[in-house]
Amino acid sequence: MNEAALEIRGLSKSFDKRVVDNLDLKVAPGELYALLGPNGAGKTTTLRMAVGLTRPESGDVRIFGIDALADPLAAKKLTAWLPDEPMLYDKLTPAEYLGFVAGLWRISPGEAAPEAERLLRWLELWDERDTPCEGFSRGMKQKVALAGALIHRPRLLILDEPLTGLDANMARAVKDALRAQVDEGAGVIVTTHILEVAERLADRIGIIAQGKLLAEGTLAELRAQAGSDDLTLEDAFIRLTRAPEAQ
Amino acid sequence: MTRLMHRLTPGGFLWLMVNEVRLATRAARQRRGGNIIWGLLITVYTAVGFMLASSVIDVPITPAPFAFVIVFAVCVLAMSFMTTQAMLRSQDTLYQSGDLDLLLTAPLPPRRVLLAKLCGVVANIIMVFAAFTLPVALPVALLGHPGLFGIPLVLLALALVSACLGLAITLFIVRVASPRTARTIAQIVGAFLAAGVFLASQFLSAGPGRGSAGRAVLGWLVHHDYGSHGFAALPGQAALGSLPAMVAVLGGAMLIFAGAGALLGRAFLISYQNAPARLTRRRGRAKGSIARHFRQGLFATMFAKETRLLRRDPQLAFTIVLRLIYLLPIALPAFTHGRGPPLLPALAFFGVLIAGQLAGSLAWLTVSAEDSPDLIAVAPVEKQAAQRAKLAAALLIAAPFAIVLPVAIALENPRAAIIALAMTLASALAAGLVELKFQRPAKRRAFGNRREGSFLVGVLTFLMTGLLGLGAGYLVWLAG
Repeated sequence: MNEAALEIRGLSKSFDKRVVDNLDLKVAPGELYALLGPNGAGKTTTLRMAVGLTRPESGDVRIFGIDALADPLAAKKLTAWLPDEPMLYDKLTPAEYLGFVAGLWRISPGEAAPEAERLLRWLELWDERDTPCEGFSRGMKQKVALAGALIHRPRLLILDEPLTGLDANMARAVKDALRAQVDEGAGVIVTTHILEVAERLADRIGIIAQGKLLAEGTLAELRAQAGSDDLTLEDAFIRLTRAPEAQ
Repeated sequence: MTRLMHRLTPGGFLWLMVNEVRLATRAARQRRGGNIIWGLLITVYTAVGFMLASSVIDVPITPAPFAFVIVFAVCVLAMSFMTTQAMLRSQDTLYQSGDLDLLLTAPLPPRRVLLAKLCGVVANIIMVFAAFTLPVALPVALLGHPGLFGIPLVLLALALVSACLGLAITLFIVRVASPRTARTIAQIVGAFLAAGVFLASQFLSAGPGRGSAGRAVLGWLVHHDYGSHGFAALPGQAALGSLPAMVAVLGGAMLIFAGAGALLGRAFLISYQNAPARLTRRRGRAKGSIARHFRQGLFATMFAKETRLLRRDPQLAFTIVLRLIYLLPIALPAFTHGRGPPLLPALAFFGVLIAGQLAGSLAWLTVSAEDSPDLIAVAPVEKQAAQRAKLAAALLIAAPFAIVLPVAIALENPRAAIIALAMTLASALAAGLVELKFQRPAKRRAFGNRREGSFLVGVLTFLMTGLLGLGAGYLVWLAG
């Protein structure tokens, strides 16, 4: 299959100012792409446009070759969205929540129930499956939301700051989950402030500032673009994101 | 207030108290939609108070046992409302507001913090009740009845005692159950009280005795010596100007207040220290197979979700029922022994109206008050299909309640029942479609205030369901 998991071309969006400016971006199947950028760089808006939550002013979004603007339902069927604030219902239990999400994605109960059990056990939520989510810690809520994102076996995972507020064990569990998805051939795009995560986890990294993609590539390629081979990602990030401000 | 705080000793009881009163007044101003509207309402109400005062300027208000009974009855009623309000505010203070962490990590004795917090609760209560009573009571006192200046003191005393009672009950419920239970109980008791007073007044004024009902209740109190003598008469005596009674009532209330600070201080601190544990989850029993939570098809999925959310929110369900209870007086004329409209058309009218209102409320919850709109938006489901499924779920939840009156009509006249049923369905559908058409995203917890943002939708729904109800009543009358 040659289709990109996610292909964004010429994407633009303004609110009171330009937030995303003629952005091009490509994520291959079996690739984990980390989108980095300072606050207000346009990361979340880009991802929200990719999943159909925000309408772009111009540009294309293609998910495995499907035009997400022309045929949003077909594109959504392949996609999972995990924002930094988990999309949960406090009064539902994890099992009920997964039942609801599976229903929305029209997964048959025969197929969804065993998958839900597998996910809940794997994310160590099995014993809490009948406990309403309202009393859960942020990390547990994030894990329930992750299970919801994975239950319909998405081929493209789009995650906005998935590790915010998680402790080390839970962050590791989420990172393992993402790596497992990539190994199974899914495309994963993730925004994060934790550069170490991007450094260790991502196959390719994109750096965005003021709505524009400033640099893209593997860590080595980014170092080269920043002008030195022995830079850390943090140094490269700071150099690359300061450059346009200095101009 | 801020200027006043500059003059007080920082960290002292008065300084903390003024801070709490400042927070309470600002919260109240925010809730009531700004100073201008609030000020205008108070001004108009005060003007009405002065008109009333000038009309009773020559009427003597004598401190007689019957007057004491009236004040006693009003105090009991007011105190029950104040206590539920104090429970809610105590729960907010203990478990919702974030400033206790700051206050209790500061080098201040916890008892002082508690008393200051209680003062905030008292201020909150007083602001609500003073707004109802003082614009009338003070003008009457100013224009020839200076004894009534005792009313603000009685109000303060009631608020002090209610704040202590509310806090004590909250701490007790939190100890045996949870903070959420305390909140739910306070809301339900408050709603029951309001609905009970409202319904009792409607029934009494619609009954055969009409105007004499209130007097009969007071007569019963007088007959049994409730409030006319002894300690129970003190609020009445204080409100009507007896200085010793004022000192006794306010002094007693302040003693209780100070005593509560001493007695509840420790319980308050322990409860606060345990709050994180009590707010965390209570593990539900894991009950085996997970398959029962999965449904085939969009409607079944939506219906399961909406029924679960409603079932697990008793306070919300109760608010919906309460709204229907407030419509009951419309049906009362049908039960006035031949003096009102015929029974079956009245029942049909009322049933159609109730069904529309219930369906409208549920449709608002399912369609507008979606807590995870982004989840639905990113799912591969047509927006219209999702909304149709939600509306259908709302109608199906309303159905068992909506068909009660048509079934009752069927016992008398099956043909009329079919008409009533058809109109009930039309009313529920119309109310649901209005919600669908004019939906505005909101949080479920905003249900109580939802009409603030959509007043016209509320009026439109009421008019439509009312007209359909009238149509149903007319058709049932023709069929009868």
